[in-house]
Amino acid sequence: MTSTSFLQYCLAGVSIGGIYALIAIGYTMVYGILRLINFAHGDIFMMAAYFMIFAMVDFALPWYVSIVLVLAATVALGVLIEKAAYKPLRSAPRMSIMISAIGVSYLLQNLATYLFSALPKGYPSIAFLTKTITIGSISTSVVTFITPILTIVFVVLLMQLINHTKIGMAMRAVSKDFETSQLMGIKINRVISFTFVIGCFLAAVGSILYFTPRPSVYPLAGSLPGLKCFIAAVFGGIGSIPGAVLGGFLIGLSETFIKAAGYSEFSDVFTFILLIVVLLFRPTGLFGEKITEKV
Amino acid sequence: MKKVFALALASVMTLSLAACGGGNDAQGEAGNEGGAAAAGTAISGDTISIGVFEPTTGENGGGGMQEVLGIRYANQVAPTVDINGTTYNIKLVEVDNQSDKTAAVTAAQSLISSGVVGVIGSYGSGVAIAAGQTFADAGVPAIGCSCTNPQVTLGNDFYFRTCFLDPFQGTVMASYAIDQGYQTAALISQNGDDYSTGLAAFFKQAFEGMGGTIVADETYQTNESDFNAILTSVKTANPDCVFIPSSIATATLILPQAKANGITAQIIASDTWENESIIKAAGDAAEGVAFSTFFDENDEANPIAKEFVTGFKEYLNSDSQNLTLNGGTDGVAAVSALGYDAYMAMHNALQALDGTEGELTSVSIRDALVDVAFDGVTGSISFDENGDAKKNVAYIKQVKDGKFEFLKTQSAE
Amino acid sequence: MSNILEIKNLVVSYGGIEAVKGIDMIVPEGEIVTLIGANGAGKSTTLKSIAGLVKPRQASIQFKGQEIVGKTPDFIVSQGITLVPEGRRVFPNLTVMENLRIGAYLRKDNLKDDLEYVFSLFPRLKEREWQMAGTLSGGEQQMLAVGRALMSRPKLIMMDEPSLGLAPLVVKDIFTIIQTINEQGITVLLIEQNANMALKVAHKAYVIETGKITMEGTGAELLANEEIKEAYLGKTK
Repeated sequence: MTSTSFLQYCLAGVSIGGIYALIAIGYTMVYGILRLINFAHGDIFMMAAYFMIFAMVDFALPWYVSIVLVLAATVALGVLIEKAAYKPLRSAPRMSIMISAIGVSYLLQNLATYLFSALPKGYPSIAFLTKTITIGSISTSVVTFITPILTIVFVVLLMQLINHTKIGMAMRAVSKDFETSQLMGIKINRVISFTFVIGCFLAAVGSILYFTPRPSVYPLAGSLPGLKCFIAAVFGGIGSIPGAVLGGFLIGLSETFIKAAGYSEFSDVFTFILLIVVLLFRPTGLFGEKITEKV
Repeated sequence: MKKVFALALASVMTLSLAACGGGNDAQGEAGNEGGAAAAGTAISGDTISIGVFEPTTGENGGGGMQEVLGIRYANQVAPTVDINGTTYNIKLVEVDNQSDKTAAVTAAQSLISSGVVGVIGSYGSGVAIAAGQTFADAGVPAIGCSCTNPQVTLGNDFYFRTCFLDPFQGTVMASYAIDQGYQTAALISQNGDDYSTGLAAFFKQAFEGMGGTIVADETYQTNESDFNAILTSVKTANPDCVFIPSSIATATLILPQAKANGITAQIIASDTWENESIIKAAGDAAEGVAFSTFFDENDEANPIAKEFVTGFKEYLNSDSQNLTLNGGTDGVAAVSALGYDAYMAMHNALQALDGTEGELTSVSIRDALVDVAFDGVTGSISFDENGDAKKNVAYIKQVKDGKFEFLKTQSAE
Repeated sequence: MSNILEIKNLVVSYGGIEAVKGIDMIVPEGEIVTLIGANGAGKSTTLKSIAGLVKPRQASIQFKGQEIVGKTPDFIVSQGITLVPEGRRVFPNLTVMENLRIGAYLRKDNLKDDLEYVFSLFPRLKEREWQMAGTLSGGEQQMLAVGRALMSRPKLIMMDEPSLGLAPLVVKDIFTIIQTINEQGITVLLIEQNANMALKVAHKAYVIETGKITMEGTGAELLANEEIKEAYLGKTK
């Protein structure tokens, strides 16, 4: 491996890792607040891609309008799903809401198949993003280069929101104790919706960054990435945002380097083995919640 | 009393088992070496069911759908056949094998149990190989359209095909590469896909045999969407050309990524890449790509082809749904032509049954296929002892200015 | 003096079992009112109904003349009622300061004065301002829970078993605080198993047994009552 190719691999790794991180955050935040593994999250990521195709291809809107629309539409979709499929089950046993999430996942996949056909559709390219650039001896596209940077920016902003704003404090409170949060005057439904807003916003951003250099969308496109991002969230400690980010980058980098070593077949296997190892030896994940309550 | 009841139940069950199995009186013996001598399905009533075994979803859904369109059009052109004084309606029974080997077997089984006497398909050698035994065991002949891996027909007396084979195709592309002056090549193939892995191996064998060197041999897994790592490895090896025998879905992903990674070597591929969606998705990253295929719609030489192209375009344009399924264009895909030819081969075989005595079964159709010979859209159609079409010419096409342009024909030398 | 809270015919069922079977209560403004009774008598359920966490099957609950039955908890907080829940229920993953601030969630103005006041009541909390609430002792958590409830400047503070699980010295402190708060003009509705301390500070008291009010009177009256002494104050005949 030359130093050029090594750096190229690193860039590829943190780029896909950044996307995984953005999506993993969605999983971890929803789990933190609802104790729900939102199996439909990967499919929301997929729907965001179709929204972009709608906006830029079918309606020929310019990219800056389309991006805004995609972000808005994805957020709206996530909030709608929460209100329709999860909210009614809030006092039901945990299993029920998980099954509902699986149901939503299948619903989205099949809806996409019905509406857009199972054949892959081309994802529109945004000219300045797909431009090839060279940095030293590394060749890459603009979007691949800015992905990890954008990811870090968003994560920093998110941590600021969570730790230093009122709504962030409310989110942290609600994730610990629904009832008492209500006693503080917090509107639980608003906080939960807001969590979905953030998660879906990041998923939409991840979707744009993911599909721009991989311009082919099909209804099951969110399935495997969604699964990997779920593993990233579990690895980092489900409920912990820094953990999810770390998990995302780890999986991105390991995937890339395993492929670089010539063992493509094992790149996904590694991710699943990681899940098993985490569950066996440290089920709460890297930064998992330790119980700090005393009665 | 209980004993009598149990005995009665047991005998009823045994009798019903014997009565099942295609409604036939003659039970064939299970074969052990090659050619299973199953009884097959009988032709009854005035409808002949022909199965369409194609992927309409999954990574090969695009190509599969185009084959289905060719078959449907052929059914529209020749919807009936006269045998022994009865006019039979030919009904298509379509199933989706989902581009997946496991689903393929289930799909094949459902075709058999719905009473088809013949099968057309599939696009994708992997699924054809997977389902081959099911068809053979049931005594139902299948005609593959574009599945090019040798194993589809090898050792299976019930599988035929209308396309050329991959050893031929691999050699064709290797010849093309050498002709272009490429001395080094990189291979990128899909692990676990019979078509992709097989074709890459045949290319390698031929290329090295002609004096070329393979400088990189990368593999990726099914449903992979991120090729940056292996493209970096390929770029480092600095080949003159890169041979990528992949599915359409992979092509739409790997081309933009190859461009982004700064790969300037010529990309060459195989019959699966003749699909508009690749150009649509990859844009100018697809410029210059060359590949081999079975058919060219602008080929003036074959009058049957010309008639087909005109009629098929009309069929596509008659319904916007058809256009969508064809990838949004009325360009005639080679696989559609092959699907058409496969149906016509089946039709020819059925017609040949006219005048035969005794019961007509799927096995009789199979026997009739052996002797079928006619001029099809993709050339003259007849089958050798393996069931393979006797084809020795491939068409090389290239993407120029966002369109498929016919370059030349290439044979295996 | 007007009644800040009037409850008429409160009936609450949990899945077929009537926990509260039609009780009437009056909380005069500015007083400390206590509801005592055994475990499971329906005390917590009553408070939760007032706070909006539990929907009664029927009731009329009037706060300052306004009907609040069926309203959401956040609306009820905005009207000036807060509940210090059973078991303190501080947010363990928030700091002491954040717990206090979240008590004032609905307020948009400057919290400086209120924070100063709470810290003056509970100097121990000031020392541990930046500590995670989950690491505090039981007594400190209780203080924090009360302080948090004060941050919203309530008119009525309800407390669910503030003495539960606390050492006697700490319990004394808590009840001193309750009186201090009350002297500032905040009405207190208190439920307790520790009837002794509760009746000592209460102006008005109710006894609840298996969902029904069985006795009412001033705190002193009930403290002297023989039956009460036997049942709740541990005095043998």
